[in-house]
Amino acid sequence: MLEVTNLHTTTGGREILKGLSLRVNAGEVHAIMGPNGAGKSTLAHVLAGRPGYEVTAGSATFNGGDLLALDAHERAAAGLFLGFQYPVEIPGVSNLLFLRTALNAQRKLRGEPAVSSTDFMKKVRVEAAALGLDLEMLKRGVNVGFSGGEKKRNEAFQLGMLEPRLALLDETDSGLDIDALRIVSEGINRFRRPDRAVLLITHYQRLLDHVKPDIVHVLAGGRIVKSGGPDLALQLEADGYEGIAA
Amino acid sequence: MGLPDRKAESWRWAELVRAKANFGKQAPANDTLPETDALWLDIPGDKRLFIGGQPVGHQAEMPEIIADLPPHPLADMAAAHAPCGTSIAIAPNHDGGFMQVLHVGTSGTAHGVTRVRLGAHARLILVETLADSGADHWLNLRFDATLAEGAELVRVVRIINGHGLASERAAVQLADNSRFTSLAVVYGEGDARSEVLVCHNGQGSHAQVNGVLLGDNRANLDAMTTISHAVPDTTSTQVWRLVGAGRARVSVSGGVKVARDAQRTDADQSLKALVLNRTAAANLKPELEIFADDVKCAHGCTVGELDKAALFYLQSRGIPRPEAEALLTHAFVADALAVLPEGALIEALDRDTHTWLEARA
Repeated sequence: MLEVTNLHTTTGGREILKGLSLRVNAGEVHAIMGPNGAGKSTLAHVLAGRPGYEVTAGSATFNGGDLLALDAHERAAAGLFLGFQYPVEIPGVSNLLFLRTALNAQRKLRGEPAVSSTDFMKKVRVEAAALGLDLEMLKRGVNVGFSGGEKKRNEAFQLGMLEPRLALLDETDSGLDIDALRIVSEGINRFRRPDRAVLLITHYQRLLDHVKPDIVHVLAGGRIVKSGGPDLALQLEADGYEGIAA
Repeated sequence: MGLPDRKAESWRWAELVRAKANFGKQAPANDTLPETDALWLDIPGDKRLFIGGQPVGHQAEMPEIIADLPPHPLADMAAAHAPCGTSIAIAPNHDGGFMQVLHVGTSGTAHGVTRVRLGAHARLILVETLADSGADHWLNLRFDATLAEGAELVRVVRIINGHGLASERAAVQLADNSRFTSLAVVYGEGDARSEVLVCHNGQGSHAQVNGVLLGDNRANLDAMTTISHAVPDTTSTQVWRLVGAGRARVSVSGGVKVARDAQRTDADQSLKALVLNRTAAANLKPELEIFADDVKCAHGCTVGELDKAALFYLQSRGIPRPEAEALLTHAFVADALAVLPEGALIEALDRDTHTWLEARA
């Protein structure tokens, strides 16, 4: 589904990713762990098409197409979803207007008909209830007045509503208390299907207790330095990055 | 009296070059009438139409202006030269509902006068639209209103000016416990000057003076307010949202004057501008003159660009950049529009904003 080969990127004249390669197949959950400054968030942003990152070498394909040639909104329509580490507050644009605009913009680009208000609201109710989000809250501005945990739940809500093929979740567990972590993890587990994939970027093993990864990677110095099964995360938790990255 | 000079502080951002070019040239007689259907808002109520300053479909009348207002070069010129105008009087305790007046500039100069008198506890929602028929022109309107005790006036002025200059000055005198709500929505590629003078002459009166200026291409949109608190216990709020695109210049000068006796005045002001291109310019000037000592006068001013993080957030969810920009711009101006009650009027003005944003997207 996602194939990243020898990716080099710079931002502000500094090279962050230095030959990163990664292959994620449909049905798999990958976790990327790594020390601060290793390039984890950069990888997420580069794949999602955030301006300000320059790809100097390498390639990234998504379902066989050149991902890097697409604009950010085209990547979303192709089925890529970025769950933000710090979701943005947008006063004046309600969550529901935003989501419906996004959903229909994606559908338009894919040549699908727009979703009706009835079908949209039906799905909103189901997804919001599963994540414990109040409908009244969703009528407010995007993430405005939301606590850290509510913002992350809103990311999981959007994931459920937009139904992408690949979820790229950048430190979705940061700022969550134990209950919120469980609720958001359940959202991610509900998303899992044989035709979908998840790439979790995280600092901590605790998210992986709830969402079992198939493969764990260690990202350090702009490259994947080690990959392994779920045990690798436990080993990292016990030994730290230093021993492994060395 | 001649045209004002930009050396005068209150005219420094005004662009009066189209007034100079059309000065003294009377708009021609209306042998053919331009299409105006699309210029009316889809709301109920009586309608009055003026084309090139001449009434269409109703009798000509010349309203009596308010005599004791300070001199004003353009408003006084309108009073002196307007061939006719609109006079609206609502009897005490009567609800006048909605009313629309449409002024269409053709070519040359057209002056107009609108006069509103609200009796005690009377109400009126008035929408005045200044538009053009596609040619260079100068349309100059004077609006005078007196509100008796407990009266409520909502005045929306839409300036949709594609060519030439549209200028208007509204002067409103408020008696005890009366309320005036003013909303200017100004867009188009021509030049515009919109001015509001509120005289709080009665205790307990309140004025809400808001505006949205949407400038694109080479438009010069300039607004100025003077909220004069002359007696104790009066309140005012101003919310202005300016958007500049292309090479447009959008400006607002928000004035509050509190007289020595006007204790316990509460005047609040928020002026914000969004510059969509580096070639556009925005000017914001809060101007407070306070002579009383027990007052609350808050003011805030910001000029900025669209939030790049918010833009990327919207794009990352599948919204193309032009649509994302439109969504954020619409959210930016929504504060100023929110002054109107829910319903047909705010929906119609929302559509105006959408039209402008879609044309840019």
